[in-house]
Amino acid sequence: MSAPAKIEPVETIARARAGDADAWGQLYKEYAPAIFRFCRRALPTREDAEDATMEIFADLQRKLGQYDVTRSFTAWLYRVSANHCWDLLRRRKVRQGKETEDVETLPLEHPDPNQLDRLIEQRTSQEVRRALDKLGARARMALVLRYYSDMSYDEIADALGVRRAFVGVVLLRARHELRQVLGESSALAAGGTL
Amino acid sequence: MSEQDRRGNEHLDEMTCLLYVEGQLDHARAQEVSSHTEHCPGCRTLLHALERESRLLKRAMFEDEEPLPARLAVVPGRSARSLQWVWAVAFGLAATGVYALYTGYIEPWMQQLEQAGFGGTNLLGLLIFQGAFWKGWQSMLSLLEVLAMLTLGGFLIVLLRRRLRRGSALAMVLGGLCAAVMLPATASATETRRGDYVEVKQGETVKGDIFLFCHRARVDGTVDGDVFVFSQDVNVGGHVKGDVIGFSQSVRISGQVDGNIRTFANNMTITGNVAKNVLAFTQVVTVDSAGKIGGSLTIFTEILSLDGRLGRDLLIFSKDARISGRIAGGIRAKGDTLDITSTAEVDGPVHFEGNKPPDVSPQAKLKSPVEYQKMEHKPEYSRPRFYVWRVIFIAAIVLFGMVLFLLMPKFTEEAIVVAEGIGVSVGLGVLVLFAVPIAAIIACCTVVGLALGISGFLVWYASLHYSQLVVGALLGKWIIGPTREIWPLIGRMALGYFLLRVAFAVPYIGGWAKLGVIIWGLGAISLALYRRFQPAMPAPSSASAVGMQPA
Repeated sequence: MSAPAKIEPVETIARARAGDADAWGQLYKEYAPAIFRFCRRALPTREDAEDATMEIFADLQRKLGQYDVTRSFTAWLYRVSANHCWDLLRRRKVRQGKETEDVETLPLEHPDPNQLDRLIEQRTSQEVRRALDKLGARARMALVLRYYSDMSYDEIADALGVRRAFVGVVLLRARHELRQVLGESSALAAGGTL
Repeated sequence: MSEQDRRGNEHLDEMTCLLYVEGQLDHARAQEVSSHTEHCPGCRTLLHALERESRLLKRAMFEDEEPLPARLAVVPGRSARSLQWVWAVAFGLAATGVYALYTGYIEPWMQQLEQAGFGGTNLLGLLIFQGAFWKGWQSMLSLLEVLAMLTLGGFLIVLLRRRLRRGSALAMVLGGLCAAVMLPATASATETRRGDYVEVKQGETVKGDIFLFCHRARVDGTVDGDVFVFSQDVNVGGHVKGDVIGFSQSVRISGQVDGNIRTFANNMTITGNVAKNVLAFTQVVTVDSAGKIGGSLTIFTEILSLDGRLGRDLLIFSKDARISGRIAGGIRAKGDTLDITSTAEVDGPVHFEGNKPPDVSPQAKLKSPVEYQKMEHKPEYSRPRFYVWRVIFIAAIVLFGMVLFLLMPKFTEEAIVVAEGIGVSVGLGVLVLFAVPIAAIIACCTVVGLALGISGFLVWYASLHYSQLVVGALLGKWIIGPTREIWPLIGRMALGYFLLRVAFAVPYIGGWAKLGVIIWGLGAISLALYRRFQPAMPAPSSASAVGMQPA
């Protein structure tokens, strides 16, 4: 997991697993900002992200014993967070009855590379973040898992509950949605795909 | 991309390009893409654009524009533990409250009533059902046992909630209640008579119980069972071998009753003979000099005049009481005045708590002098005990709310959302507050709907508390912020309810505030219930989903 590339505090994790409250506090301070940012990107509102961060760490405290110390703690942390956020979005999605489209029906097209290039060049990070907030839950979550958490396609498939072969489709579709949102505010909007 | 390129149909699709950029293609396919892009500027540009897009996305994700919120600065482990501690205290207080309530009030009261001749051990039966509406109740467990069972059932449902669908959980609860109600089935035969004037004529014998619904009623014959009478005016001049239960304006007992008398009446006169006990909620009670009660007399009345004979104790909550007859037991009285005349004879101790000292004639034959205690009108809030009980009460209600919130999380969310529409909620709340008890009373009067009426009344009563919890949760939500999770919602409810209780304690306006909150919450609950049972609505995003969205 390259995103928050940092040396993992192995000793602190071990102490936290053993029930050391100070070590748990250190872990929290170390990882809470990244998890909050993850939730902020994955969920529609700031309040959601705050609630989710608190819940994730409450879960983590209980699940810390299940963590396999031979693997990356950060990756595990993001997996737990992704599952939590996706569960939350899915529950809400069921209630709101949205996003029932089949990811497998995406038409594969060849966009105009120059137009795409121009669109990307003209957009700032802030505009992209705003556009991300307007995406559907699955699209936003897919992009966050891939480009924030740096998850592999297998991990994304596992987290989103789709077949591994369709992770690419989900990501591409998410990019199309993003371009459409970005394009809506400019003359570059050219029928969804570029 | 030029038209020539398009016509050539030789370009890579975007999916392949993306998988290539992401390093997801197998080696052979990646080689093909690589060789293709060497000769195809269009696809090469697309690859570069996709790579730039990836970099833009990463940059957008990692550029931090929002600091960590203050509430996340606290390490959750500590707060979680402190929350558990709070809940443990709440549980402890609630348990202590129930225990203290039982040992401090209910148990002594039951003993007192038992000493006064009621002899029952079933509080529910003593209060309402003993031998009255339904004998089956007598075989029910005591109130505490029922409460314990309900609590246990509630927790069981909470534990099993994840494995049960909400409908089946509800069905389980209702089924359990129905089973509890049905188990001790009534056995005796009953007869019902209706009309403007109904009577059991002299010489006539009714086998079993009889229900009388009329304007005027007379029982001059013999009834082997109980008499239930709903009438403006009733006169029992015959022989009733069971109990007499009366809801009347005027009750007159001039004959022989072998059982008990329970009345809710405007006035009651006893000139005959009652073998067991009398319990009356009546404005005026007169026991004539010819009247005789074999057991005890317990009355909640304005005026009591006792000239006849009483076999056991007298327990009075009255404004004015005048004793001229003979009492074989003692007297415990609470009220404004107590007058013991010269002809009175009391074989037991007399205790009176009142506003004025009792007026005792020197000629009255008393076993011991009257113990008088001046009624204290010290403000409740000046006593520490007041605050202890308040805390216990709040903890108990919060616990009640917690169980309800856990049992019905979605419904509670919906009710809280609906409560945000204050106008509609208050309007409906006014209607429900008054209409439901009236409907319950009407249902009770029909006998057939007795169980329904009593259940409706109990649900209505529970809703009075639930309504405050719903408004409390809304208040908590406004203060702390919205949440979709149940435990944070319960926390908000606890905070909001506590604040409401503080507001209710304000003199003069507190009572009105409480009434307003009850009306508001009751309306919200009713509206949420109405929406829940409405036929499938075209989903304008369900109330809960919309409502729990933060502003």
